[in-house]
Order: sequence, then structure tokens, then C-alpha cells
Amino acid sequence: MNLAIETENLTKMYDGSVGCKEICLSVSEGQIFGLLGPNGAGKSTLVKTLVGLVRPTSGTARLLGRPLGNVEVRRKIGFLPENFGYHEWLTGRQLLEFHASLYKMDRWSRKSRIPLVLDVVGLTGSEKKKVRTYSKGMRQRIGMACALLPDPDLLFLDEPTSALDPLGRREVREIMQGLKERGKTIFLNSHLLSEVEMVCDQVAFIKGGSIIDQGSPDEMGADGAVVELHVDVVSEGLLDLIRPVARIVSSGSNTIRAAVKSREDIPELARAVVGSGGRLYRLAHEKVSLEEIFINLLKEGD
Amino acid sequence: MFTIFGFTFREAFSRKILLVSIIIAAVFLGLFGAGVHFAVKDIVKSHNQMLASIIYPQLLLFGLYFGGFIVSFLSIISSAGLISSEIESGNIQAVITKPLSRCEIITGKFLGQGVFLASYAVVMFAAISSIIYYKTGMQFPGIWRAGLLFMLQPIVLMSVTMLASVLTSTIASGAMAFMLYSIAVVGGVVEQIGYLINNLYLKNGGIVSSLIMPVDSLYRKIVHIMMPANNPLSAIQQMGPFGASAEPSVWMVVYTLLYVPAFYLLSVYYFARKDI
Repeated sequence: MNLAIETENLTKMYDGSVGCKEICLSVSEGQIFGLLGPNGAGKSTLVKTLVGLVRPTSGTARLLGRPLGNVEVRRKIGFLPENFGYHEWLTGRQLLEFHASLYKMDRWSRKSRIPLVLDVVGLTGSEKKKVRTYSKGMRQRIGMACALLPDPDLLFLDEPTSALDPLGRREVREIMQGLKERGKTIFLNSHLLSEVEMVCDQVAFIKGGSIIDQGSPDEMGADGAVVELHVDVVSEGLLDLIRPVARIVSSGSNTIRAAVKSREDIPELARAVVGSGGRLYRLAHEKVSLEEIFINLLKEGD
Repeated sequence: MFTIFGFTFREAFSRKILLVSIIIAAVFLGLFGAGVHFAVKDIVKSHNQMLASIIYPQLLLFGLYFGGFIVSFLSIISSAGLISSEIESGNIQAVITKPLSRCEIITGKFLGQGVFLASYAVVMFAAISSIIYYKTGMQFPGIWRAGLLFMLQPIVLMSVTMLASVLTSTIASGAMAFMLYSIAVVGGVVEQIGYLINNLYLKNGGIVSSLIMPVDSLYRKIVHIMMPANNPLSAIQQMGPFGASAEPSVWMVVYTLLYVPAFYLLSVYYFARKDI
């Protein structure tokens, strides 16, 4: 599969302090990729470096197969900045016309795309109002509309739902899902972990400017998971066999809950039960939320 | 680039500072017109041709000087945030990431703002010249050349202010441009005094200030073009802070013409390397 984003040791230093450091990422086309990290971790620096707002100190990156800084590839890239500014004296429609001309879209494309993106973000009917009269949520929506204008192959969204109500967040999720279904790639930077968990195929955790872990939320959730085993009978001998593999959380007459360190320990656990002559009826791991993974990773680093 | 050019030009008309500048210009032109009207009325009544030959040019100088000041004021105020306010508001983030180079952004803004300021300066120059012409009947031999140099004044200030706007905040770039403008104005007066009392140090001080910010020497050149030293009263007509005892050389005009693109290129250079 082709890579939409590829970075190799991408580093940005600000007067000796780290913005982001030796970032190596590979985001395949058609994926929704989530970047997570605490405040000041380097998320925005990484996004800004990728979209060309800041110049990397070292390392390389390619977007849609073109090197960073290539101007032409930006026709296929949408970007919703976290602090999206608005030319408030324009109407919503005029703002979109301006951004369409920046994208060098022809008259016909503008005519078809502008009503479409207004509809997608739910601003049809408000396009003739001045942007200065828009609410915070409407401003985020018009920013999203600007990013969607060129029907981008790669979309960078920096906190796209921070000003939206639950309904608006759901609509943004639906927009992202719709784009993904059409083979578009989305790079999502969000604090809302539940949201990231719902839509992202891959996530990366960044801390202190460096990526500390990455993978699919499902795979990552298996590490440190609690596994529930249903067996015919729980004996002390069986528990002794399990203890080297996992930490016993609780046990009943025929159920055992045990915490594994990594997903690789789960087959070992099954082997321990079956090897002792026990009968294993069910094995299920309780999914660890992204929030728990996030907090654990941050604690590990401290 | 043409998108940014057109947008900057339109944006200039949407700013409150334009309304303020129009009101100030209207008040100034009203007062100036009334002042010229009553002064000319009295002089005509007195039938004193000598007085007319001295006062009429002084009225023109006064108009050009303060008209130029208003144009310069608009130039600095409207250019101080040309880049920095866009960065501060976050507007620039969604623009830079579009398929256009940073050089195109600077060029578009430079041209859009430049055309706007030049248009404003032309209107101001035409209004002042018309008032003087219709009230006094004075003839201006090099009015087109003078008009072009009058247009160049706000563009010189804009080019410096734009570079400051790339490098610093809106307030800092405005303050910096005003300081440079003040240096030019004070330097111009110092140079005038230097010629009056024939003091080389003061003359050189004026020249140095003109090299730092050539707006005032442009003004003195305009004065000489519109009122060439071809009559015995020239020395008296050119006296005072608004006159030009010595005509700036053509090389100063050449220097100014190079000054503008130099600052434009510096803006392009630094903006291309700026982290947003």
C-alpha cells in the first residue's frame, strides 16, 4: 500500500529546545491516523512541520510521495489548523471563494464544490452571513469546509471538534469515515481520546517531542489487558501455573481474571491452563481504553 | 499571487484605518482649502504681487508636507500588520499551506498594498495641487514627475514597514516605522537648517538620515520639481521647514528606487525562512 505520510528522523528544534525529535512515521493511504500526546508534547510542531508552517531542523518527510515543501502537492492536501483564523469581514461564501482561489480551483470546480462543502459541514443557509457573526462552532465548521474544498487526498485536522457540541462531533466523525471510505487519508490531532479510539486505524503517542509508541488501538489495547478465563474448575495448582505468566486479579470457582503484560502473553496463558489438564471454555480480554493506555504510557515515561 | 494581490487590495478598503484616513484627509483638505481661499482673497484684495509670489508657494509647500504626512501615516498604520497581524490572528496558517509559495504571498501583499497606497497618494496629491491651481493660478511644470514621486513616498515606508512586520509584532513594526519616519523628518529639517547657516555637519546629518529613510528627500525633490529655482524669489520661497534649500540629486531618487526592491527582497528572504 502506498504511503500518504512518511517521515524519517524528522526533527524540529527551537533555539536549542525540542519541538519534535527524530520522528519516524508511516501512514498508509486510506487510513485515519491519530496523534496523541499531552500539552506541549510536540503534536502541533509535528503537524506544522508536515504542512509547511515550520521548517524542519533535520530529517526528511514525504507527503503523497512528494518531498516536504513541494508546493504543487498542496493542491491535494487539506488542513484545518487548531487556531484557525478568519478574515472576519468576509461572508462564509466569500471566505470559501478566497480559499478556492488559493487552491487554484477553476470556476466550474468552485461552483460545484462550495455548495457541497457547505452542505457537508452543515452551514448551508449561513453562507451569506459575515464570518464575524458566526458562533465558535460555526467557525470550526467553516474552517473544516475550507479544508475540504479541494476534495483532498490527505487531510490534516488539528483539534477539529474542540468547539463542537456532541452532535457536531458526531458529524465530523461521519465526515472522516466518509472520506476514509473514499480512500482519503486523515491525520487527526485530538485531545479527545474516545473520539480518536472510535475513528482511528493507527495511533501514535508523542511525549517530549518523541514518538513513544504507535500501532492500532486494538493491538495496543491488548498490552496490559485483563484476561478472563472460564475453566471447569479453579485449583491452587492452576493458579500457580498462571502466576509466572500473568498477575491474578481475581478468581472464583470457575473463572479467573488475570492481567497480562503484553498481548504475547495471552497464548501462554491458554497454554498454561490446557497444559495443566484443565478445560478452557472461554478466554476473553477486556479491552483497555485508549485513555488508560495513554495514561500508562505517560506514567512509564516519568 | 494575483489572489493575494486582489485580496490585499480589497482588505485595505475594509479596514477602519481607511475610514479614519479618509476622514482625516477630508478634514485636512477642507481646512487647507478654506485657508488657501481666505489667504488668496486677502492677497488679491491687497494687490501685492510680491506677497503673492512668496505666500502662494508656501501654501503649496504646507499642503504637500502635511498631505504627505497623512499618506505616510496611513502607509505605516496599514502596513504594520501586513504580515504580523496575519500571523497573530492565525489567518496566515490556512494561507501558507495552500499551493502557493511564500514569495507569492509577499509579492501579492506588496503589490496589493502598494497599489492601494499609491491610489490614495494620487488622490491626495491631485486634491492639493487642484486647490492651489484653482485658487492661485500657480503653474506646476513637472506635475507628473512630482506626482509619481509623491506616490513613491508611501511605498518606501510600506516596504520598510513590511519587512518589520515579517520580523516582529504589529506594534513593534509600527513603532519602528514611525521612528524611521521621524528620523527622516527631523533629518530633513536639520539639513534645511544646515543649508541656511551653511553648516556641513548639519547637512551631512540630513544626508545620512535620508539614506536611512529617503522619504523626506523625496519630498524635497517634489518641491524642487514643482517649484524650480528659476526666479529671483526662489531662495525665499524655499525657506522654512517645508521648503528645500538644496535639491536632492537624481542619485537620491535612484537610491530610493533601489531601496524599495531591496526591502521587498529582504521581506521575501526572511518570510521564506520564518517559522509560523
